[in-house]
Amino acid sequence: MTIAPNSLGETDSSATRALTHDLDRSGPGSGRSFATNEPGLIRGNMISDLERGRLSRVWSHRPQFLHLGLFITAYVLGCGFAQSLAIIPGTGISIWPPSGLFIATLVFASRYSWPWWVLGACVAELFSNFLWFHTPLPAAFLIFAGNALEAVAGAWLVNQTCKRPVRLETLRDVLAFVALAAGVAPVASATVGSAALSWFGIQSQTFATAWPLWWIGDATGVLIVAPLALVVFQNWRGKAQLSAARWMEACVLGLIFLGTAALSLSGYLPFAYIIMPPLLWAAVRFEFRGAAVALTVLALITAVFTISGASQFAGDPESQKHNQIMLQLFLAISAFSALVMAAISRQHQAAVLTLRQSVETLRERERELSLLVEMIPAHIARMAPNGEPTFFSKRTTDYIGLNDIADWDKPGTSRLATVVAAAVHPDDGPRMREWLSRSLATGEPYPIRYRLRRADGVYRWREGRAEPLRNQSGAIVQWYTASIDIDDEVRAQEALRDRERELSQLVDMVPSHVWRLTPDGEPTFFNKRMVDFLGLDVTDLDKQGISRLAAMIAAIVHPDDAAAFGDTLSHCLATGERFSMRYRLRRADGIYHWMSSRAEPMHDHAGLIAQWYGLCHDIDDQMQAEEALRRSELQLQQMIDAVPVRIWSAVPTGGPVYFNKRYQDHFRAVIANFETLGEPRIEELLQELVHPEDAPEVLRTLLSCFETGGGSAMRFRWRETDGYRWAECRVEPRRDEDGAVVQWYGVSLDIDEEVRAQEALRQASDKLAQATQAASLAELSASIAHEVNQPLAAIVANSHACHRWLSAAPPNVERAKITAERIIRDANSAADVVGRIRALFKQSTETRTNATLSSVIAEARDLVAEEAMRRGVRTSVDVGSDIPLVAFDRVQIQQVLVNLIRNGMEAMDSGADDGVISIRVRHIGDVVQTEVRDRGRGVAFPDRIFEPFFTTKEQGMGMGLAICRSIIESHSGRLWVEKNEPRGATFIFTLPIEAKAAS
Amino acid sequence: MTTDGQIVFIVDDDERIREALSELLATHGMCALAFGSAGDYIRADKPDVPACLILDIELPDINGLDLQRQIAEGDHPPIVFLTGHGDIPSSVRAIKHGAVDFLTKPFSDADLMAAIHAAIAQDRVQRSERAELGVLKQRYLELTPREREVLPLVVSGLLNKQAAAELGISEVTLEIHRRNVMQKMVAASLADLVRIAERLGIPITHSRRAGGN
Repeated sequence: MTIAPNSLGETDSSATRALTHDLDRSGPGSGRSFATNEPGLIRGNMISDLERGRLSRVWSHRPQFLHLGLFITAYVLGCGFAQSLAIIPGTGISIWPPSGLFIATLVFASRYSWPWWVLGACVAELFSNFLWFHTPLPAAFLIFAGNALEAVAGAWLVNQTCKRPVRLETLRDVLAFVALAAGVAPVASATVGSAALSWFGIQSQTFATAWPLWWIGDATGVLIVAPLALVVFQNWRGKAQLSAARWMEACVLGLIFLGTAALSLSGYLPFAYIIMPPLLWAAVRFEFRGAAVALTVLALITAVFTISGASQFAGDPESQKHNQIMLQLFLAISAFSALVMAAISRQHQAAVLTLRQSVETLRERERELSLLVEMIPAHIARMAPNGEPTFFSKRTTDYIGLNDIADWDKPGTSRLATVVAAAVHPDDGPRMREWLSRSLATGEPYPIRYRLRRADGVYRWREGRAEPLRNQSGAIVQWYTASIDIDDEVRAQEALRDRERELSQLVDMVPSHVWRLTPDGEPTFFNKRMVDFLGLDVTDLDKQGISRLAAMIAAIVHPDDAAAFGDTLSHCLATGERFSMRYRLRRADGIYHWMSSRAEPMHDHAGLIAQWYGLCHDIDDQMQAEEALRRSELQLQQMIDAVPVRIWSAVPTGGPVYFNKRYQDHFRAVIANFETLGEPRIEELLQELVHPEDAPEVLRTLLSCFETGGGSAMRFRWRETDGYRWAECRVEPRRDEDGAVVQWYGVSLDIDEEVRAQEALRQASDKLAQATQAASLAELSASIAHEVNQPLAAIVANSHACHRWLSAAPPNVERAKITAERIIRDANSAADVVGRIRALFKQSTETRTNATLSSVIAEARDLVAEEAMRRGVRTSVDVGSDIPLVAFDRVQIQQVLVNLIRNGMEAMDSGADDGVISIRVRHIGDVVQTEVRDRGRGVAFPDRIFEPFFTTKEQGMGMGLAICRSIIESHSGRLWVEKNEPRGATFIFTLPIEAKAAS
Repeated sequence: MTTDGQIVFIVDDDERIREALSELLATHGMCALAFGSAGDYIRADKPDVPACLILDIELPDINGLDLQRQIAEGDHPPIVFLTGHGDIPSSVRAIKHGAVDFLTKPFSDADLMAAIHAAIAQDRVQRSERAELGVLKQRYLELTPREREVLPLVVSGLLNKQAAAELGISEVTLEIHRRNVMQKMVAASLADLVRIAERLGIPITHSRRAGGN
């Protein structure tokens, strides 16, 4: 008994190897060929070890006795079922459920436990044989060997082909199972069994007739039982997971199935295959389980009806064989269809599940991606190729404060323009638009910095970048943009820039020149002021052959200072001493400026000189001022020495401290022992130098000055080498703020010639006075002649005319009369002039009458009216209302007025565009004041114009104003002139109200 | 009484003098036009007849002597000066510049009238001379360019042969030109033509000897 499993196992493994070997030949796998080769290689001497190992493994894999018992029981029952269904008398061949159970058990069990199951099956089959089949023991054993071979081969093939554990859930598995377990495996059983039957001649079966029956019986058994067994094994511990609705459906289906089966198989309906729809329904809806259960039930029902003879498959003995085959085919087809359908349904369900899972996964991924997009601390947007934004990340919309991109849609403008206008800083908007349009046009990515408005209205700097997505032909499909907040960075940069600018401004704005040298003396920096001053930059100094410093010295330092500058600087560079120097620098316009320059080295950590920092201060003005001061001092000194006066100064008490060069020369010339005199005392000097007659007076005056602190001027005679000369000496003290004398200054001027000239002048003056008197008389007479000559000439001419009118034949008396009247008028005019002149000299008051000034002014105005018109001068008269009567000579005052008005008109003649003479009369106190105001060129000599013969006119005699003044003064009035603002002069005369007209 | 075709201009700033002079001239039957200043005189429209200008030296705008100098450029009537106080330098200057007379105020009727008559007579002569010269100039302008070339040669006294050689034309042609010149210039003889040429200021360009060589 114990050998059988061994031989079985032996057979099994060799058969397995053979089969695997065949499969390897057809398959491409190489790893498996190694696995199968290995046992072949080690078979020789190692085989006993291998056997031992296998046996121990077989032992350790022994199944539970319960399972084995159940298996044996089920096997025996299966055998009984088969026996009961063997409707063909004597064959004993029918549906063979044990094969399905056997294969399912092996497929499910581990391979090392197979011997146990084979043993159990052997026991069960032999027991069944004993109960029902009654075949001779060798034949029965042979038949079992065929069955075992079938089960082992089937299980092995299925396990090889299908994935473990075998669930028959995919179509491929089902097809593989059907083909291998139900198609190929029964070949072994049918062959062995049919051979055994024919060999032993049992029931007179031939091999050829028994084989198909055997094969189809086994196949049907496998198809019906194996799935059920698998379901039972696999769900042994699993819970039923069907919902109530499913249970309900299962029950309804079961009833329909049973009903249909009962009807179709019991012969009421002649067509057995009508059971297919409910069967397939079970397969579709409940898949493998449903199919297995339904098939089992179908098999049982069929068996019951067949055995009972009610079935269509039961019939007369002739057709028994045919019916048997038909029955088995029916069951096989049903099973096949149901299994395939279940597999398809299962696969479909699996696919649906997978799809659902995929969708779920995709959704999950999408959520993750979306989360990624939203959580990236940047603004992400997508734009159409034309720049229209089609997506904004939530961060962006939250930032800007708009919920939906569509909120920006406005009719008429593009969404992009609206976004830019609404959210981008106005200063950056144009740049942004330009950037966008350029990027959109060229397709090249371009970074930009701009300010974006946050929902609360604050603008923050962002840096954005857009990249296009292109399709295969290169056309832009989408634009993707991302922008990050760089506000803090920008502000930090700005702050840094501001500080840098401030520093730079500080350096540039310091009113000095700042520069920097390397330790070698190479200039590396000039501030802006210095660059502006020099008109060149550090880089301009680069020349071939000489160092920059040398070039700089040659270019900008004054040639006179260059050598000293170079030496000092190189000394400082060598020793590290502080540099300090004054020198001249050439400004850009070529003018040299004095500079005070200082430089100090900056040391690094190691104490070495890192840089030289220098300052250059423009002290040109100071130097110029100093120079000017020196020059002016020199000039002053030279002037003091050169002026033809003698200058001295003394301390407050009179001790002399300074004599100018002229003085000293004078002293040397006059005083013989001057050099040896030492500090001269004032008395000694005076005694030596002043005329003896003047000396006491001079001394007294000087001492009095020193005593009282007052200045003085005196004339006396100095002793010179060639006699005495007159001099004027003035002494003045300089006082401090309190009035105390600080120093005395004296000047002595040679006035000898002036004194002598004055003497001569005085003598000439007397002669001149007489001459002037004579001249004035002559001039006056010429003036009088002129005044009288005009009317006289008219009179003469008129007289001739009159005479001729009268002498004509006939005499023209009318014209003569007119002429005569003119003669009278002109003669009176001449007489008036003469009379006025006489009155002037007589200063007569006889003709004075009380009259109103306004009438006289009107007359005077009429007299000059023609002239005024010709000159384009207007006269305005303003006479006060309260003017009292004044006693005056009408003709004289008229003469004065005419004279003043004419003077005014003549003064305005030159370039006066708005000539106005305004005459104003006012009552002021006890006088009546008359003003004649013009806008002419004014009066240059207000003091002299009233003098006789003083005139500023080419044709004037210089008598008018003199006569006017004497007229007014003869009326006890005053005549004077005042200046007008902005131009012109006002002549004003007053007449007293209480004039002594009566006297 | 009135002598037509002549006028006296008076320029004096003194209204009385202007009145008296006009009246006096009226008694002599002379028409007078009086002006108060030199400017008024210059600007006035004056009749184109023999005339005389009585001019005061002291004028408000332009001195009489300066006015004389100003109008000296063109054709103007002869001037008789009047002055209140005549000094010698002024009178000398006036006479040197062509004044007819220089009278001191007051002046006698006879002196004035004599001066005026002399001046008007002088103006008549000047005017007729100007007219005559005008006619001669007009005739000269009517000459052809070639005839204008011939004229100076002829009045220089060149023989026809010489003149023809000078111009590079034949003697016969020159003869024709010469006859035309005489005819157009209305010269009775060669001496007459020479006189006319002199008045027109045509220079004598060739002496006979120079031309003869």
